[in-house]
Amino acid sequence: MIQVNKISKSFGEVQAVKEVSLVAEDGKITALLGANGAGKTTSMRMIYALIKPETGLVTVDGINSTENPIAARAQMGVLPDARGLYKRLTARENMAYFGRLQGMNEADIKKRSDELIDRLGMEKFADRQTDGFSQGQRVKVAIARAIIHDPQNILLDEPTNGLDVMSTRAIRAFLKEEKARGKCVLFSSHVMQEVSAVCDEITVIDAGVVRATGTEAELLTMTGEDNLENAFVNLVTQGGAQ
Amino acid sequence: MISRAFKVVFFKEVMENLRDKRTVMSSLIMGAVLGPLMMLGLLHMTTKVTKGKADEQLELPVINMEGAQNLEKHLLSQGVKIVKLGDKSPEQAIKDKDHEVILEIDEGYADAFSQGMPAKVKLYYDGSAKGSGRIPVQKARSLINAYSAQIGNMRLLLRGISPNITKVVSIESHDQASTQSKGAQMLMFLPYFLILILFSGSMYLAIDTTAGEKERKSLEPLFLNPVSRTDILSGKLAATITFGLITLIVTIIMFKITIPFYPTKRMGVSIDLGLYELFVMFLALFPLAVLASAIQTIIASFSKTFKEAQTYVGLLILIPMIPSLILMFLSVKEKLWMMAIPILNQNLIINQVMRGEDPGVAAILVTIFSTLLLGLALAWIAVRLYNKESMLFAE
Repeated sequence: MIQVNKISKSFGEVQAVKEVSLVAEDGKITALLGANGAGKTTSMRMIYALIKPETGLVTVDGINSTENPIAARAQMGVLPDARGLYKRLTARENMAYFGRLQGMNEADIKKRSDELIDRLGMEKFADRQTDGFSQGQRVKVAIARAIIHDPQNILLDEPTNGLDVMSTRAIRAFLKEEKARGKCVLFSSHVMQEVSAVCDEITVIDAGVVRATGTEAELLTMTGEDNLENAFVNLVTQGGAQ
Repeated sequence: MISRAFKVVFFKEVMENLRDKRTVMSSLIMGAVLGPLMMLGLLHMTTKVTKGKADEQLELPVINMEGAQNLEKHLLSQGVKIVKLGDKSPEQAIKDKDHEVILEIDEGYADAFSQGMPAKVKLYYDGSAKGSGRIPVQKARSLINAYSAQIGNMRLLLRGISPNITKVVSIESHDQASTQSKGAQMLMFLPYFLILILFSGSMYLAIDTTAGEKERKSLEPLFLNPVSRTDILSGKLAATITFGLITLIVTIIMFKITIPFYPTKRMGVSIDLGLYELFVMFLALFPLAVLASAIQTIIASFSKTFKEAQTYVGLLILIPMIPSLILMFLSVKEKLWMMAIPILNQNLIINQVMRGEDPGVAAILVTIFSTLLLGLALAWIAVRLYNKESMLFAE
């Protein structure tokens, strides 16, 4: 479970994130929904303890990630916005490298790699060097690498960005499976259909500020709209007018 | 001290880069293997040209040879091939590089000669000509000087005076250069070459593990693992240092293998570099691998792309050139304090070893520790750079 309490971050003059709070519970998929430049990536980076929030607090399974970022990271599997692979290593070696850095032993790495290769449908390219992989193949490897240690919390920054229908479906199905296993899944997106299709809880963020939080149904009632896209636009423009 | 993360990162970087043909080609094959072979080839070529010029018959175009028949006989008896200059003026012929030297007998030569006055001849040549081009000029000059001395002595003898009266002081040369120290002159580029190879050996990894990783967007995921950034960077730096050292060792071995093929006999010099001497060179150079890798890593860390890093790190190679070039042209008496200046100390020690001198334990220890100290200080900075958030992203 991830609890975010009023985190802020500014870069020079620009206040990128202002007092963002949210809760991502175990056994649920939570979305951070926002337009490009709304502060999603910066918020995510603070949540997964890559950068430090100026104010506020992030706890991951009760661990304060500002005070103890290394222990907090061990509880998370993160697919960041930057998802470059090592192209001279095979898919399996990319996964094993991160497994070793997570402190896993070779037997566990092998077992878990086989499982993820099977579940994400990576059999055909698992033992090839990743140079020349398609976008979909690369994202699958990056996800497998990020959660090689089977973390309780899975964080993904725009996971299906630029993917085709088949790859998108495979990843959505995978996230739902993880949810069913009781994991806490938090992802950021700007794609309404996606959020609508997989998410239980939605936090709408705009200009670095949280505009609304709730289930899709709650957001629709709140705004009086009949689909998420209109609800989103309503929330965001209302916010702009305030 | 040595953490698990350090080892994991180290072995991954070494393995990944050994798989990269570009790294292996550029640092190991091109530098370490072909470098010493190219040096050998170049030396053979230059000695061949120089020696060839010295041994071959002097071909001397003479203007107005009829004016000095005695001199003509002398030149012919010394094996000179006298030829006619074509239609060109002597100035133009030298300019066009038709000949390296041209002799002109002055019109007043015969009269001056018979009156016992200095008879004039003119020698045309290009004083800025390089190496082998000067040999014919020296030959012609010394032949004419010898003739002049010979006739002068005969004139004195005819007047009943000993020619020794004109020789007030006689110089007896005692050249203290050993064949080994002359051999060292032939190898004067070696210190710079070895330092250059060392820098180029670690360059690719220093860039690939920092700016390259940032550009590929794999740095952020890497830092999301539950290990300290200092451990990750230490592992990367260790891999970089290892590549520098491997390149250095391969170069020294290749150099040792090629020594017997150097044209030492033809030049009358000797290169006596045994395993002990090469080991001393390695001892002086290995701390430089730490320094080179650390400074390259720092520079590459501030670059956003591989290419940008390549430009800056490439320019860095010019710095070790400075002491090497100065020492090529200046004779320096080694002092212990000089051994505390990295790069200058490596140059001095290698030069001493090549000349067959013993640098002494103190000099070697000062070299190792001063270089290592600076290297470790820079390494300390390099592995801590990424604790700053602004260093994490390329954008």
